[in-house]
Amino acid sequence: MSDFLNTMLLKCENLVLGYGHERAVVSTPVNFELNAGDVVALLGENGSGKSTFLKTLCGLLPPVSGNVLLLGKSEWAARERARFITLVRMSGVTCDRMTVREFVSLGRTPYAGIFDGRSKDDERIVDEAIALLDLENFASRWLTELSDGERSRVYLAQAVAQQVKVLLLDEPNAFLDIPRSRKLFTLLQKLAKERGMGILVSTHSVEYAEKYCGQIMVIADKQVRVANAKNARAEGLLKWTED
Amino acid sequence: MRSIDHRILIGFALLIALIAIFAYLALFNGAVGLSWSDLSFYSSHHDSVESRIFWEIRVPRLVAAVLSGISLAVAGLSLQTLFRNPLAGPFVLGISSGASLGVALSLLAGFSFGHFGVLSGAAVGALVVTSIVMFVASRFENTTILLIVGLLLGYFIDALVSLLIMGSDSESLRVYVSWGMGSFSRLTFDGIWVFALCTLVGLVLVSLSVRYLNAARMGDDFAKNLGVNVRRGRVMVLLGASLLAAASTAFCGPVAFVGIAVPHLAFMLFKTSNHRVLMPASALCGVVLCLAASQFTKIPLNAVLSLVGVPVVLWVIVRGGGIRK
Repeated sequence: MSDFLNTMLLKCENLVLGYGHERAVVSTPVNFELNAGDVVALLGENGSGKSTFLKTLCGLLPPVSGNVLLLGKSEWAARERARFITLVRMSGVTCDRMTVREFVSLGRTPYAGIFDGRSKDDERIVDEAIALLDLENFASRWLTELSDGERSRVYLAQAVAQQVKVLLLDEPNAFLDIPRSRKLFTLLQKLAKERGMGILVSTHSVEYAEKYCGQIMVIADKQVRVANAKNARAEGLLKWTED
Repeated sequence: MRSIDHRILIGFALLIALIAIFAYLALFNGAVGLSWSDLSFYSSHHDSVESRIFWEIRVPRLVAAVLSGISLAVAGLSLQTLFRNPLAGPFVLGISSGASLGVALSLLAGFSFGHFGVLSGAAVGALVVTSIVMFVASRFENTTILLIVGLLLGYFIDALVSLLIMGSDSESLRVYVSWGMGSFSRLTFDGIWVFALCTLVGLVLVSLSVRYLNAARMGDDFAKNLGVNVRRGRVMVLLGASLLAAASTAFCGPVAFVGIAVPHLAFMLFKTSNHRVLMPASALCGVVLCLAASQFTKIPLNAVLSLVGVPVVLWVIVRGGGIRK
């Protein structure tokens, strides 16, 4: 079970990110490794560049300089990459004519043929993802009828159905109540340990980050710093939260 | 899942039955009633009046209605998805205006476009506008810009057409206005093959983009995150939809409402926006609507279609089925 843990999934080499050199988010290049089994929290103020960082990691935004290596490779065909890494965002367009199940089933797109069919295996994987996030009761409801909290879980189920190795989440608990947030973070731990996933999750919940994540990464003052979650506070990584 | 599958099966069966009924009516019912025996394919009847009515009037009209129904509905659906706008249709890109300009040049200004005359004029006009739109699409990622460019082009071309109208004589004007009303009766036996080929190529282009269309319902960024080649999907859909709309407009005139209304009708019937289902469903709904409209040979086609289309679009807006949230 644990033989795939600690394999390196994602690596940043001298990564500078942002929208061009003038609008770079960091002033010192980032070096960072994400291993199988890791859950890393990404903290920082609004506008500090958390989303830009996540977008760069999953290839939606090209790096200003430096490299992002996914499983040791920096050049990927888009479809191939989507089988290994995905970014879950809680905002964006919502289709008003899609059921929850249909949406979760979009996670199988990178595996589908030219006419976007779904095999029996695909259907089973979708069912499992729905069960894992407790969505059975509203699998046939329209996406637009859900509360923000319900939608967060649906978005996560879609990513689970995508069966990626690296899961990037952009503020997944922004709309979740306290019990659901706790459940979400325990689920992330479980996914990392049982499926050997590497998870990087941006959040504003410092206490969950310290309690449920192995490492904490902070973007503050154009610097990215990483520390073990237990020592982060002692090492001064969370000082900006108290100013 | 089971009940959904049932719904899809019943929906398709219903549509096919309706198509069969309307096709039969279109071929055998009319000012001159026909029967199979009038058409006996082997005997000396070959040149009879009945046989000529059948082959030279009714069959081309049926084919025109079927191909128009398919092409406008599929073009409308794919453009609505691409623009994420429930009121988009084949005409938002200015394609029908382009075709109108070609026809106006041919009818009102006396330009000659070769063998097919008016039809070639429409095709050339539609293609010119399509290439402008494709050029813009290759430059801008933003679909809203494309939508605005298409609409602006439409206004610009309409203004050109109105200048041509001002300087034309009343007979050419009459022919032009009658073209603008749309009709399935203009297709000739020669034209069938060209129309069918354009429809086929357009359908292939759009069908090969089903994965893009399904993912793009949630936005282009979302689609990219699923590993979908958004740029290629967009170009293929635009090209396919333009070809479908241009062919239909060239052969049948600017046929109103099918492109906008039919995808909504299909959604109401099938309750899914998965393009694997919704695309064939829209095509069949389009055929049903066009065949039904083609029964009214005395009333201008666009009048019949608008009488059906307007209530449907209004219903969609009022009920908010398309633009909820």
